[in-house]
Amino acid sequence: MALSSATSLYQDRGLRGIVSAYSGKPGYNNVKTEFFGSFPAGVLQVKVGLDKSLRRISLCPCIKCERKDEPFEYVSVERPPYYSYMDSTSGKLEPASGARASIPGEEYWPEGTASRVRAARAPEPTGKSLGSPSYGKNPGSRRKKHRTKVAAPESSPVTVESSDEETVEPSDLVTSDVVEDTIEEPKDSSSEYVVYQMEPEAEEESGYQLDKTVGRPHPFIDPEVKKPIEKPLTSDELWWNWRKPDKEQWSRWQRRRPDVETVFLKAMAETGQVKLYGEHPTLTETSLYRAIRHLFKDERLRAEQERLERDGPIAYYSEWVKGWKKDTSREAIQKHFEETGEDENAQLLEMFCHQTDLWGGDPVYPTVNYIQDPNEIIDYRGPDFHEPTPNMLAYLKEHGKIISREELEKIMAKEKTEQLEMTDMDEAMAQAVDIGENEDEGDDIEEEEEEKITRNWSVLKSTPELRKSKPKPKKNDPMSLEDAVKDSENLTDFLMDFEEDK
Amino acid sequence: MAASFSLHHLTHCFLSSSRSKVLSNGWSRRPGGRYSFSGGADDRGRPIRAAVETPPFPLFQPPPLEESPSELEPADPDFYKIGYVRSTRAYGIEFKEGPDGFGVYASKDVEPLRRARVIMEIPLELMLTIRQKLPWMFFPDIVPIGHPIFDIINSTNPETDWDLRLACLLLYAFDREDNFWQLYGDFLPSADECTSLLLATEDDLLELQDPDLASTMRQQQQRVLEFWEKNWHSGVPLKIKRLACDPERFKWAVSIAQSRCINMQIRVGALVQDANMLIPADMLNHSFEPNCFFHWRFKDRMLEVMINAGQRIKKGDEMTINYMPGQKNDMLMQRYGFSSSVNPWDVIQFSGDARIHLDSFLSVFNISGLPEQYYHNSHLSNDGDTFVDGAVIAAARTLPTWSDGDLPPVPSMERKAVKELQEECQQMLAKFPTTSEQDQKLLESMPDSRRILETAIKYRMHRKLLIEKIIRALDIYQDRILF
Repeated sequence: MALSSATSLYQDRGLRGIVSAYSGKPGYNNVKTEFFGSFPAGVLQVKVGLDKSLRRISLCPCIKCERKDEPFEYVSVERPPYYSYMDSTSGKLEPASGARASIPGEEYWPEGTASRVRAARAPEPTGKSLGSPSYGKNPGSRRKKHRTKVAAPESSPVTVESSDEETVEPSDLVTSDVVEDTIEEPKDSSSEYVVYQMEPEAEEESGYQLDKTVGRPHPFIDPEVKKPIEKPLTSDELWWNWRKPDKEQWSRWQRRRPDVETVFLKAMAETGQVKLYGEHPTLTETSLYRAIRHLFKDERLRAEQERLERDGPIAYYSEWVKGWKKDTSREAIQKHFEETGEDENAQLLEMFCHQTDLWGGDPVYPTVNYIQDPNEIIDYRGPDFHEPTPNMLAYLKEHGKIISREELEKIMAKEKTEQLEMTDMDEAMAQAVDIGENEDEGDDIEEEEEEKITRNWSVLKSTPELRKSKPKPKKNDPMSLEDAVKDSENLTDFLMDFEEDK
Repeated sequence: MAASFSLHHLTHCFLSSSRSKVLSNGWSRRPGGRYSFSGGADDRGRPIRAAVETPPFPLFQPPPLEESPSELEPADPDFYKIGYVRSTRAYGIEFKEGPDGFGVYASKDVEPLRRARVIMEIPLELMLTIRQKLPWMFFPDIVPIGHPIFDIINSTNPETDWDLRLACLLLYAFDREDNFWQLYGDFLPSADECTSLLLATEDDLLELQDPDLASTMRQQQQRVLEFWEKNWHSGVPLKIKRLACDPERFKWAVSIAQSRCINMQIRVGALVQDANMLIPADMLNHSFEPNCFFHWRFKDRMLEVMINAGQRIKKGDEMTINYMPGQKNDMLMQRYGFSSSVNPWDVIQFSGDARIHLDSFLSVFNISGLPEQYYHNSHLSNDGDTFVDGAVIAAARTLPTWSDGDLPPVPSMERKAVKELQEECQQMLAKFPTTSEQDQKLLESMPDSRRILETAIKYRMHRKLLIEKIIRALDIYQDRILF
């Protein structure tokens, strides 16, 4: 559907305006005319082929409101920041005022666009220069030659003169150029001409140079010029080193990877035990180090082995057992064996029992790990340690947290006397009729009814006369545990045994 | 006088524009760039040392004060155009030329933003860059394989001869067709305008009244001459010979290379390298309180000159760079050919045991900050105080001082120490053959003298002015010391 929109005329304030006129009728052939470009102030020319039915476009520069009494809304057109741009869709230079969506502001421009725009917007310098370039021949020729003026009254006539000179610039520049040329000519004159040598001088060569030119066999370096190598260069200084470490590595990962042997070799070189060719050990030096170390280790191990065999194990290991003061020679061991019958191994074990320190590890390459003093008294007291509060017991007793054994027993006894009450219950329970099981027999019912009354616990309880007769003699005063014990025939009375009738 | 007047304007610049809080600018504040400036003339491997000089006279204080504004006029339009054609851009600045050389001035106000603003950008192809270490790489690579200039460059000592290499490259660039430097060379100071001491005669060196500096410069001149003689001897091919027909041209090239070279750490491709660069942005002058700094944009290989972040710039302010942070006047003189009476890093050797109390000295003059970064804290003092300038800060650094926690200074001892120091200063002044007033008169009496001679006289005058300023500062200190 064609849009039916009122013609919008922007009040022209010197801004560029877009005027588009659409035909209003749906069925009409749309005559769309769109106008681009800037309009001169105050003049709006609208050329539209319109149907008469269309509303007349008024030339009044205001926005028609629906309500007449509302004031005008002064709309300013957002000016695009530039007149043309490189369109990403078409790839061509497009005008900014085209019918596409508005160009995003500076925040959305790609990287670098802002500086390019700024560079493009910078105005070209106008003005015509009076001098002309000398293309390197006369440096400083286009400067204005002024003399330094120190703040002094004498300088003012000079300033006046110079300002006069400045107003008469062209001629002055010419004259000054002329003056400069005359001064500088003697310097330049020699550069204008080329001086040729008429007769070439023949130099006599001899010795090494002669051999070289003639082609006879000769050493690489002239023996007269040759210098002995005083100090070999480090690998960094050598000419074929293309790598520039410079200590400016951007990450620690770029450093030399440590290897056990290279690290040790470098350390040995630094302490002076070993001389390396350069700063860092090479592969050859490393393998040499490895070989030497292997040989040394072999030799040492063999020597130790031999010593062990020669001296015997007790003598060998007694070096590490500080507490073993006895004689460890073979003869002494033999004597000891004859005396006590403990052979070598037993004596070895005996000796190891006296071992106090340097447990574990190899006696040849010992590892000092964890030396403990067996007689050490360990003091666990820490800084928070303090003496305990005295008379804790009395304190607790006062506050009733603790009771004495006697009181406890009393309380326990009280608990026991309650059990005696329970036996009364048992009598009542014993007299109670067993209702539940024997309800079928009629004979028993009579008896049961009689017995019910006598044995019925609840009846007994609810009739105070009956109750009084029974428990009273038993329940005179709460008996202490000892009295109860004396009363009873045997202690089993106190056992809760409901099976026997009491 | 000129120095203090310019200081006044400087503090005014920074004070008057601050209705709200403006960060107090330090005399030797590190500019808010991405680099840390470190001193040292000949060391490698340090990050940037921005070292650029203007054509002949780097103006160490804002020049509109030393010369009336009418003396500054817009530079030749070609100056910018030759760069513009080759994608150099300048934003919001204009180039002006005065009697002392070129300068870059702001053409509009700049609000203090948190971001550093770019004022100039220069592509790599315009510069002459050599990597400082072996293998020497040239950006752009204008030296063709097999050209004998490469052998000459190759024969230089990799650690110390960077200026010779750059000079050879510059001379070769002058010879190369269609090279930017053929055009830009016209705007470089010529041999009579260049104030580098390499071109100084024996008399000029004597005028310095500084025997150490004079002997250093003699050695440098000797070295340059030897190099020229070794490599431009008579048997050398024409394509070398025409680059520097006489030793003066070569010396001029070396002086240009020394005074206009920047050492920056740039990243080109994947390699971060320290490079010596000759750039077309060397018309920026030096200041101990710089506005700008250099930044390398590796994305499109442009060198940017950026205004310090948070720096408020008014229209007409000069854009300045700190050439060589933390160096004394003699280093500045040796390398760049200028000196300053308000160098806050100047050092005077005091012998003897007299010491003044550091904390009270600093508080009298409202100097705050760490010893590396002393600055005049204008918030503490009233605005009318214009005595404190770089010379007083140099005094704070170089006077022998003691400071022992909360221990207060004993007034009588302080006075004694002050008197001793003043005497020593007077002795030092007396050792000079002339006084500063005599030097001043000498300069005024010869307005048309050679620039190198003027520079030499100014160098010694600045030194004396510094000592005099120290004497005056000690006087004020004595008066204002708190009891």
